[in-house]
Amino acid sequence: MSGVLTLPEGCIAVVISFTTPRDACRLACVSTIFKSAADSDIVWDRFLPSDYLSAISDYVSSPTSSLLSKKELYLRACNNPLLINEGKLSFWLDKLSGKKCYMISAKELMIFWVDIPQYWKWISLPEARFPAVARLKVVCWFEIVGKINISLLSPVTTYVAYLVFKSTHDFYGFDNNQVEATVGLAGCNGQNRTVYFHPNQQGIVPGDEHGLFPKTRRDGWLESELGEFFYGDTDEEGILSMTILEIRSGNWKKGLVIQGIEIRPKNR
Amino acid sequence: MASSSSSSSTQVKKITLKAADGKHFEVEEPVAMEMETVKSFFVGNEDAMKDMVVPLLNVSSEHMPAILDFYRNHSEFRKRTPPPPAEEVKAFNEAFLENKSDEQLMEMIMAANFLNTKELLNFLTEAAANRIKNKSVEYVRAFFGIENDFTPEEEARIRAENEWAFDGLDED
Repeated sequence: MSGVLTLPEGCIAVVISFTTPRDACRLACVSTIFKSAADSDIVWDRFLPSDYLSAISDYVSSPTSSLLSKKELYLRACNNPLLINEGKLSFWLDKLSGKKCYMISAKELMIFWVDIPQYWKWISLPEARFPAVARLKVVCWFEIVGKINISLLSPVTTYVAYLVFKSTHDFYGFDNNQVEATVGLAGCNGQNRTVYFHPNQQGIVPGDEHGLFPKTRRDGWLESELGEFFYGDTDEEGILSMTILEIRSGNWKKGLVIQGIEIRPKNR
Repeated sequence: MASSSSSSSTQVKKITLKAADGKHFEVEEPVAMEMETVKSFFVGNEDAMKDMVVPLLNVSSEHMPAILDFYRNHSEFRKRTPPPPAEEVKAFNEAFLENKSDEQLMEMIMAANFLNTKELLNFLTEAAANRIKNKSVEYVRAFFGIENDFTPEEEARIRAENEWAFDGLDED
């Protein structure tokens, strides 16, 4: 191509705004004009969902957010989750795609027997995002249900739901019991799968291709994949329901701390 | 495709556009007015319309037929009741891009930018975006015909800042 033909910076910015946040960061390395276009507010305005901007103005009354560039605001949205809905929901953006992610706090989950002190206990942990997390003392009937309105999700996105938890020194009773997880729209037949909470997968089933065993997260918590949900169009309405159930064995189970259920886009 | 104006009883006014290389194009007025640059040419000067030739200094005649084809079809899509099925619009758009080289696409973006015609500009820039998604920096430089004007130190620094954006790219 002849060197004479160079797009103006404004056009380059529009092209970049049709890519993804990850592409935009890489395209900043092409040349000085690309860097200027790729860092511009035109591009990052498009990657910031409008409800993030309104959440930030509702919950963060700091004047500094208006002084940040849209790119800085985006990176902050990815790295520093916001607490919304009276602290019951954690909200951030997936860095690669800019899609909305949530963690529903344990307080907002339906946990069977949670208010009976001999079965469960509310505690606070410095490494948790929420002021309270649920410590399992001992139960037979283990059931957790999380719900979220799908209108909060980013459209045309496959989401994956995870239970975020820790096991404690007295972890017991889950070793050989399969836990049943169901993810789907409330009132419909959801997708069923079996998950293990046993942190040590050695000696049980080789491989972890199906995400059945918990993985250690960067924040030190464990997560177990519960299932997937595809949210297509903003016309769709409903409540996404995620259920975790272990009642078949009749065993006593103990030694978990539940932080919440996380919903984030599936990355390739 | 037949011109949408052929069967109408009233004569549709035509406007003459002159491409950079001097070639003339007769265009139905509503199609020509999709282009802000043409529209603004006549602002405050509506009476003169008939005989005026609008010079388009930055648009080569090579791309004029395609640009006009895009607008004739899209304005017909907009006028039609009921609206055309999404597949029909998609099929037209895909066929429109099918044989366009990267260089032709760039030139058409320049033309659409000069003509200040938002619908076509958005359509073409999105098409260009789809061609560079998940591609290497070197690929994108070649695609846009852009020289790397960073010093090696600057480039290394910017790459390091954006390191997370470089994993698992498509092959060039």
